[in-house]
Amino acid sequence: MKNETFSKVERLFATLIRHRAWVVLTVAVMTAFMGWLASHVEVKTVFSDLLPKNHPYVAVNQRFKSTFGGSNMVSIMLEVKDGTIFDPAVLAKVQKITVGLQQVDSVDTYQIISIASKKIKEVRASTEGVESRPIMWPELPKGPAEIAVLKEAVLNNPLIYGPYVSMDLKATLITADFLDGDINYSRAFDQIMSLVGQADGDGVMVRVVGEPVLYGWVNFYLDETIRIFFAAIASLVIILLLITRTWHGTVLPLLAGVVSAIWALGAARLMGFHLDPLVIVVAFLITAQAISNSVQLISRYDDEIAQGARSSAAAAVASAKNLFKPSMLAIVCDAGCVLVVALTPIPMLEKISYIGTVWILSIFVSALILTPVMLSFFRPGGGPVHPINIRPVLDAILRTCAGIVTTRMRYVVLGLTGIVFLVSGWYAFNLKVGDANPGSPILWPDSSYNQDATDINRQFQGSDRMFVVVAGKEKGALREPEVLASMANFQRYMEAQPEVGGSISLADILPQVRRVLREGNPMYAELGNDAAENSELTYMFVSGSDPGDMDRYADADARNGAVTLFFRDHQGETIRTAVARVQDYVANNPIEKAEYLLAGGLVGVLAAVNEVILAGQIEAIALALLVLVVCCTVTYRSTVAGVFFMIPVMLSNTITFSYMALNDIGMNINTLPVVALGIGLGVDYSFYIVDGIREELHHNPNVERAIVKALSSAGRGVLVTALTLITSVGLWSFSSLRLQADMGLLIALWLFISAFSALFIMPAIVYVFRPAFVVGSKQRPIERAEPAVVV
Amino acid sequence: MLHSLKQFGSGARAAVNVVTSALPIAIIGGLLYAGFFVKAEAVINKVEPKAVERRDNFFSVVAPDAQIAWAAGTGGKIVRSDDGGRTWHRQDSTTLENLQGIAAWDAQHAVVAGNHGVVLYTSDGGSTWKHAQVPKSDNPNKLFRVHIFDGVAWAVGEFGSLLRSDDKGATWTRAMEEKDRAWNDVFFRGRLGWLVGEFGTVMRSTDGGATWSETALDNKVSLMGVDFRDDLNGVAVGLTGTVLVTSDGGQTWREVARPTREHLLDIAWDEKRWVAVGDKGVMVTSDAAANEWKAARISEGDVSWRTQITRAGDRHYVAGANLAVLDGGTLTIVGR
Repeated sequence: MKNETFSKVERLFATLIRHRAWVVLTVAVMTAFMGWLASHVEVKTVFSDLLPKNHPYVAVNQRFKSTFGGSNMVSIMLEVKDGTIFDPAVLAKVQKITVGLQQVDSVDTYQIISIASKKIKEVRASTEGVESRPIMWPELPKGPAEIAVLKEAVLNNPLIYGPYVSMDLKATLITADFLDGDINYSRAFDQIMSLVGQADGDGVMVRVVGEPVLYGWVNFYLDETIRIFFAAIASLVIILLLITRTWHGTVLPLLAGVVSAIWALGAARLMGFHLDPLVIVVAFLITAQAISNSVQLISRYDDEIAQGARSSAAAAVASAKNLFKPSMLAIVCDAGCVLVVALTPIPMLEKISYIGTVWILSIFVSALILTPVMLSFFRPGGGPVHPINIRPVLDAILRTCAGIVTTRMRYVVLGLTGIVFLVSGWYAFNLKVGDANPGSPILWPDSSYNQDATDINRQFQGSDRMFVVVAGKEKGALREPEVLASMANFQRYMEAQPEVGGSISLADILPQVRRVLREGNPMYAELGNDAAENSELTYMFVSGSDPGDMDRYADADARNGAVTLFFRDHQGETIRTAVARVQDYVANNPIEKAEYLLAGGLVGVLAAVNEVILAGQIEAIALALLVLVVCCTVTYRSTVAGVFFMIPVMLSNTITFSYMALNDIGMNINTLPVVALGIGLGVDYSFYIVDGIREELHHNPNVERAIVKALSSAGRGVLVTALTLITSVGLWSFSSLRLQADMGLLIALWLFISAFSALFIMPAIVYVFRPAFVVGSKQRPIERAEPAVVV
Repeated sequence: MLHSLKQFGSGARAAVNVVTSALPIAIIGGLLYAGFFVKAEAVINKVEPKAVERRDNFFSVVAPDAQIAWAAGTGGKIVRSDDGGRTWHRQDSTTLENLQGIAAWDAQHAVVAGNHGVVLYTSDGGSTWKHAQVPKSDNPNKLFRVHIFDGVAWAVGEFGSLLRSDDKGATWTRAMEEKDRAWNDVFFRGRLGWLVGEFGTVMRSTDGGATWSETALDNKVSLMGVDFRDDLNGVAVGLTGTVLVTSDGGQTWREVARPTREHLLDIAWDEKRWVAVGDKGVMVTSDAAANEWKAARISEGDVSWRTQITRAGDRHYVAGANLAVLDGGTLTIVGR
């Protein structure tokens, strides 16, 4: 920094410290106000926030979800230990749950389907012709004879036997759709679980899965999440106190973190955003930045005191002055990197990006201003607050760093770095987009939810749905033999994929009706010969049923219909294969009167999310690097600086991606926030170290000495921050939510790589390559520092 | 290191400057390009459909010898086994029509018939299936079954369709005038022939199928299958468990007590007993006298409908909602 700028900054902080009471009061009032706002931030999951905007699949889902079933489906399975479900007690339970679901909040009462609902019907020939009637509605069968009739009706109907009653007759399924708009996952979850709880037992096991239940579980663990959050903060305090042995070294970083968090949450409320419990871990990522900046200032303050600063205020000003440039660079650069994430067209990421940007910018007040001002209140001197001294350990680590940089070891470090970069860069291509495991990656594999999912997928065709819309060019298109035959053939084609457990469409129903009409002869279980016959078959099926009962297969004027595919899992690979196969089929089997539209249901929207994630993430990395390079180039007036600081960022990205690939953590909607925000956050530590070297060269032209000095001052700050945060973030691995544990580890890894690059790699690069923007050149030598101004 | 470049003069330094300035632009540009233009073209697993898929129904199965079997079904599906039904492979039928009947002369020559008058024949074991010349009319031309007797192929179907082929399936001629009544099955012994069909009709021929006369019957229930164990003794089965028996070559038929209320869709004499299959896994059997019939499930817990049963050596093949092999009382469903 130029001497002139130095003195400006110095005067600014001197003024702030002179009016420190006012500064503190202002910040306190602002924080109180923001705190009041923050306390009104809603903690909830909004599914529609996860859906990419303007994606054709999502558009199809939004347009048709109310008829063909959206992404919010709950599947409840009742399974008996002995015997079959054709037992009065079991059937009564099925009926009780089916009726009870009507009362659950946000349930789509027209989309509750079970053998006890009005929706499941059999078509039978009678003296008056053909009638379709519900098989077990409104009354339960009375006595063994009626149960035998029910069993026969089930066995004889491939639309029930298989999809709603398992092949071994030991399980039956109840499905319910939830309205997307204002669903309160916690409330719906509690109500469903109470129904399930009542039915469970007496030899009947009840399993329940579906997105609303999944998010219900996440909310269920909210208390635990909050406990871990506070435990993490407590451990942060303890470790800071242990390492720094001073109250100011403990309290002020925490204060910076808390003030920032409050401002950010208050701003979130002002912007009308809510908080997703799943991304609470992300808060730690940003809090880490606040704490890191504060610790640097305190570390420098302690050095100034140790070197005999006249007063606490003088040391605070000196600290703020000297670190102003790297901290500003870190804040602006991080904020920019986080802001570019908003370009990913997923509303949740956009919101997180805006909140994150405000959060990072608030560090300017919470750490850059507040920390020096508060430091000025502390009286220098005074012994350590506890006798345990681990400073020698830190010093030993820092001496090792210095030792490596100043010996031939630096070449080894650089060589290894190069190898790690290449290997991890290559391995990172194994990163899976979408979920990497069956079941939900949010919860542990042995969680009751994931076990329920396994059980249901064992007995039934699959609990995750995707609907493909068959959009007719005109009314009645879905009665055309050409269209129906194409749908049937499409289903056969799709079912060849092992993960597709089954499928259903109008093309499955009409043959059943036709068979009944033809004396039950299975040789007639096929589509009608022409549109008129298909229309008649449809009429037969619909007659006597409620308007809307046909809706999940086709709309009333037979223009648009759906093929619903059931998936046994929603892994990225499964979804991509299925989508590619749909496209493949459509390309190879064009039909005149209709077109196939991808795709709705959970699997459909996940397909959209997965398609957006990869491109979005690469874009975000590119733009974050751009922000970084621009910031560094402008700050140091050197393009070399841009390249230089790209190194730690690229390294932390490739290693993190490799770690995710290695541990089967897929890049999905839940992991993306951490990964995306993390892009730009790896570089702060390096700013402090490199700037420390540069500032040291103001006083002394010896590069080696400057590096050693910077490592011992800024390096200590880096080490303290990294140790503190890595330990407290590690507490998340005890979470009942696998996602939080995974993300905690990921953040810890991120912090570790950043700290490692700053302490070992960057100094070595400076030493070996002597970039002009650090060490100066003939044309632009480093300006010599003036003697300190007296405050 | 950059210091040491000084000795190479300003040219080298300029080159280094250009490289260091261009590098970030290149990296970022590359990433942006990838982000905007590279689609997530992940490696898609190629899915090879199984020979027998879940959705398949098989209406007919034939076994020209102990090891070889052919089955035909929905969506133009033809599968063949060369190892007594243990493994099956799919053959390219070139049609998506439902195929309802299949018959074979030997391991090389076979014929299938199905909806919309589709008849295919092969003379190379099924490597290629060719479309046969079939007389069609303006009804849907749905054909149900095809059988071979003394080298002649006979096909029956809707609207009184009775077709014959004397050239191993390549060309077909109508053997009877059309009428609004479906024929469900046909059987020949030498010059003697029998046809069964809708509304409980039975027709009989004594001249190898040239002329037919209707047999008077009380039964009005549609008959689905007919078989004879010699020139005199035969059985016809039909809907809702109907069983008709003759001991005089089909001149008169008597109805026996119905062993079941389920539809019976096919009957066969397997050299030891009569066996019929039908809806909901039902299988009814009787000794040669055909007076006492016993109904049971083809296999415990099995509820699939079956449209054909055929014997090959010690085992039976059954076609229907699924394709299965019945060996010594054990039912093995193909593809499960």
